[in-house]
Amino acid sequence: MRVLVTGMGGHLGTRVAQLLEARDDVEAVAGFDIVPPRRRLGRSVFKRIDPRDRDRLVEFVRDFAPTAVAHFGVYEPAARMGIRAARVASEECTVTALGAAARAGALECVAVRSGIEVYGRGGRRPEVPDEHAPLGPTTPYGRTCLDVEAHAAGLARRHDVPVASLRFAPISGSRAPSPVGRLLRLPAVPVPALADPPFQLLHTDDAAWAMVAALDRRAQGPFNVVGPGAASPWQAVRLGGRVPVPVAGPGWLLANQFAELAGSPVPPHVLELVRRGRVADGGRAVDELGLVGLVPTQEVLADLFAWASVTPLPGAGRPAVVATPGSS
Amino acid sequence: MRIAAAPGVRAEDRPTPAVPNYGIDSDRLLDRDSLPAALRRRWDGRYAVDEFGGDPHLQDFLVAPVVGRLPARTVGAEHLPATGGALLVANFGVGLLEPLLVAGAVQRAVDRRLRLVGLPTVPGLGALTHKLGGVGRRPGDVAAVLRAGHLAAVPLGRTLSPRTAGEAPRLVIGATLGFPVLPVAVRPSGPVGLPVGGWVVAVGPPCRPPDGTATDDPLAAAELAEDVRRAVAAMLRGESGHP
Repeated sequence: MRVLVTGMGGHLGTRVAQLLEARDDVEAVAGFDIVPPRRRLGRSVFKRIDPRDRDRLVEFVRDFAPTAVAHFGVYEPAARMGIRAARVASEECTVTALGAAARAGALECVAVRSGIEVYGRGGRRPEVPDEHAPLGPTTPYGRTCLDVEAHAAGLARRHDVPVASLRFAPISGSRAPSPVGRLLRLPAVPVPALADPPFQLLHTDDAAWAMVAALDRRAQGPFNVVGPGAASPWQAVRLGGRVPVPVAGPGWLLANQFAELAGSPVPPHVLELVRRGRVADGGRAVDELGLVGLVPTQEVLADLFAWASVTPLPGAGRPAVVATPGSS
Repeated sequence: MRIAAAPGVRAEDRPTPAVPNYGIDSDRLLDRDSLPAALRRRWDGRYAVDEFGGDPHLQDFLVAPVVGRLPARTVGAEHLPATGGALLVANFGVGLLEPLLVAGAVQRAVDRRLRLVGLPTVPGLGALTHKLGGVGRRPGDVAAVLRAGHLAAVPLGRTLSPRTAGEAPRLVIGATLGFPVLPVAVRPSGPVGLPVGGWVVAVGPPCRPPDGTATDDPLAAAELAEDVRRAVAAMLRGESGHP
């Protein structure tokens, strides 16, 4: 297998590249992203290409001629870029990279990152959608995911390759940047005053494992990948020892501004998660991708809160500057 | 996480993931905390909610003592499964009496919690009913509850007379085809329909579609729904041969 990892600079892409490198049946791994990888990679080839630079991207993908694509070039708003930029980057990356990979001629399977945001919330939508539920995204990130799935499905039809759409629950972990993790780690967190809807999270490592499993089994179709169990805003906030601030109606506009000032911009899909919940039925992925032992949502939360604000580096000695007031 | 050996593992063979629920089982009632310990647990956030918005810790504290004390006698309790998902179809009159009596019967017989389908969903109140065990009315949501291995009770159509069975929930039964469907009749135990000395909750043997039925067969679902309605009606009339 020659695997192209799009979005390799992100935490997820880097992790998938590491997992693929360790396998004997993977002949070569190559990837690109806007930013360099976050961890040490071995035999993977990384190239720093902005997906908007189409010609360079097409040339890179064509020269590599991948047999499998792990598509992580779907950027969540406010993880590392704004809503508009994330949408444009996701769109460009999907269209250009998948198209070029298909035209290179050796493509055998594709797995793309999507999210359970594609189902949307509210209205007549099911509360716990499975893969048969109608798609009706209610947030910009959900619509981005829907577009990515549509592009991938078109590619599957035209070139007759199996495409798996992995609809991940909001990915969160102690080290990956995630907007929902940032919000929950604020000292005071806005929570809905009149509701306490359930939401699920997925550990970053599990998302990477699911991607490898999908490529390994040449899986086809959509899969919800969620951490078992659930959490709710009030419970999660108290578990982290934070102060819940009940908010209702127009108060959310104000809460949003405060959260952004405090360093945690709240994109619409995270606001929706807090106000209306975000759950899905993950049974199919467990059965067909063999994802046994996914990290439960409550453990992902515990991991998130166990993350120290400052991690002292071993052997780094005393910090050079000690300028906190009150300390002698 | 590991990738299991073979694809297509059947749902019943799948090992149940160990969800850290802080010692609270999401399906089976356990010993309750003392009041200070429970308040401490709520303050610390050391409780979990399930995918359907249910809060087992709160249910054990607020719902279980109430439904456990309702004056009801259970007949045919051996039909209630000790594990796994099943759909209970019960008659439904005015108010919430019947669902609560069924929940009490399930609690006494097999020590399990019951998810109630079709509770009111008013903003604010909907959040509370979900926490206390209510689930959405949509067929797909009920199917998800059963796949997760819980018991769900769905009402027949509402009727004013306590001796008649209303219309069967055909769509819900269609979406959950393959799981056992138990007819449940709730009737007053006294003469001429008066609850003298409480109620009787009668549980019938599970109805199943004929072998080899596809899980998306609408005709089989309609027939099964009619079978269940008839079984409930027969039990409400107290016919011989029915519990």
